[in-house]
Amino acid sequence: MTEEPPLRQDAPPVQFDAAAPVTGQGRMDAAWGSTAGDEDLSTPVANTPAASGEIFSQEYKPWNGELNPRWMRNWAILRHHLLGIFKKGHRPWGMPTRLFILVVFIASLSNAGLTLISGLIGESTLHQLWGVSRDNLYGHVLGFFPRNVLYYPIIAALLVGSVISEDRQHGTSALYFSRPITRFDYVGMKFISVAVIQSIIVLLSLTLYYFAEIIALGRGWAWIMDTFPLFLAAFLSGVMLVFTYTSIGLALSSVSKGKFFPGIGLLSIVLGTKVLAVLVSTLFDREILYLLSPYDCMAHVGQTLIGTQPTYDQYSWTWSLASVIAMNAIALYTLSARVSSMEVTRE
Amino acid sequence: MDELIIKTTNLTKSYGPHVALDNLNLAVKKGATGLLGPNGAGKSTFLKTILGLIQATEGEGTVLGHDIRTEGDAIRARIGYMPEYDALNPDMDAIHQVRYSGELLGMNPTIALARAHESLQYVGIGEQRYRNIGSFSTGMKQATKLACALIHDPELIIADEPSNGLDAKAREFMIQTLTTTVQSGNRSVLMASHLMDDVERVCDNIVLLHKGKLAAQGAIEDLKAIDREIEIHVWGGATRLEQALHADGLTVRREGRVMRIAHTGEDTSTRILRCAAETGAQVRRMHEYEASLEDLFLVIMENLGYDVKSSEDLLASPALARKVDAPAHMGGGGA
Repeated sequence: MTEEPPLRQDAPPVQFDAAAPVTGQGRMDAAWGSTAGDEDLSTPVANTPAASGEIFSQEYKPWNGELNPRWMRNWAILRHHLLGIFKKGHRPWGMPTRLFILVVFIASLSNAGLTLISGLIGESTLHQLWGVSRDNLYGHVLGFFPRNVLYYPIIAALLVGSVISEDRQHGTSALYFSRPITRFDYVGMKFISVAVIQSIIVLLSLTLYYFAEIIALGRGWAWIMDTFPLFLAAFLSGVMLVFTYTSIGLALSSVSKGKFFPGIGLLSIVLGTKVLAVLVSTLFDREILYLLSPYDCMAHVGQTLIGTQPTYDQYSWTWSLASVIAMNAIALYTLSARVSSMEVTRE
Repeated sequence: MDELIIKTTNLTKSYGPHVALDNLNLAVKKGATGLLGPNGAGKSTFLKTILGLIQATEGEGTVLGHDIRTEGDAIRARIGYMPEYDALNPDMDAIHQVRYSGELLGMNPTIALARAHESLQYVGIGEQRYRNIGSFSTGMKQATKLACALIHDPELIIADEPSNGLDAKAREFMIQTLTTTVQSGNRSVLMASHLMDDVERVCDNIVLLHKGKLAAQGAIEDLKAIDREIEIHVWGGATRLEQALHADGLTVRREGRVMRIAHTGEDTSTRILRCAAETGAQVRRMHEYEASLEDLFLVIMENLGYDVKSSEDLLASPALARKVDAPAHMGGGGA
């Protein structure tokens, strides 16, 4: 509360009678109170401080924690890519990719499911078709249709499509390389991430298939001793398949800035070379071109490992193994060269 | 405040016959430092070298006491780098992007998430942190990149063109945030920018590179001394006065009634007034002209043989930079 300013002492009294001269002063005084206090050129105001209305306060908060070592940084990359398949807040895999992974995983388990059913209902014909055998183990991993036409190469193409190229496209490589992450760790963790997701589909489903037979049909140690080498051979073939698809796919991803080219490129290499080899083989009875096909070479090696009838028998399986190794070497060289050239300051 | 955060001795980096950094002897003090230089001056190479990402051909250097040749990992763990270009995944929301950037440093995911909230709050993203980065404005993206750099509370923040492409409001906020980080947070900033006003507002010191060599370094206030001028406002007889000043051996820049005379010594003012008295020109106003960083930059570039009207010519447009690069008397195609 402010005090009323005192009346000016020298001011003439205001008259309101009829004889008083009309000066306007009286009316003005009546309207505005008085002339008192005009001379000090100040006006009383409320001295309550106005609320600032501030809703954002910028305050620098220090952090004194310790950073974990290298393995934790690498785990962060792996976790980011793997958990992104299942939950938000990690690497944003596209919905088609997630759905396709789910569908293919379920489809990959079809032989395990039918083995379980055959064991439950005791149907021997069903078991002969779907149960664990040399050919079925080979077919689970390296069978051409549908697994290496519709399942595994497409999964690999969807996964590798953007896994490195997106870092070039969005410049997120700077996020990695401006931190204590080496190029080897970066590419290694990306490789493992993609390979693990494919392994869940190819190798986990293979393992579940094998154990489904043991459980559903009550297989004993003798059967296991007989078939376990076949299972191991199929498993090794699966590792080779996942490794090769990943290395070729990531090499393509590292030379691109989009997701389309690496995906289509991988499918073209896997399926295109296969088609070419078949055409040449059919028309000219020459099988040599199969050495350019990653799938055919892996199938040849896998057939030898598991012990099924080889598709191409004009050449030794060691040629196929050498070709697979050469393809992987070229892909890994391209990958490492391209990742080495990724920039931090600009991309 | 005299503690050195970056020190290089005879630092040289060559790419075959091209020398990107040429015997660079730098001493960057704690606080805010601007890194300036025309396109191709070696700024990017310098940043990559001090981050330990590329090996120097010769010489040595330390960042925060770590050897740039052997301790790149340790350096990158203690600095925060804010790149010039987009470095964010547009499909992620800001909070998780910043958290991931912390995890890449080795932070525990829970702690990284808590720090991500704090960092984004600090850079003014607030509740927008749950939005996809793809929907962000340029200013918000820049702020998110700064949050990524600040998440582990680094001792040195390297900001590459932090206010590039921002509107006035966002630019003001970015400058304010960097200033607060230096003043309240007691952190150091190495800021590469072509916007001289921004550098001058944030930084106390500058490092100016030119063709891989050090053209200038030191406190901005000290460096401005090389461009001291006295500004006079003349009424009547300006042309006569200008001629008299020239005749007296003074260097004059004139724009209408305003003249700036190079400060050559303590008697400069007396000489100006004497000339004015002799020519009958009225000096209505006379004061020491406070040079801006822009003026300083142009003077240094002029000394190096460039003829450019503004820093934009050299710093902002690569096309123009190429045109003015390598003046004729320095062995190039001419400015």
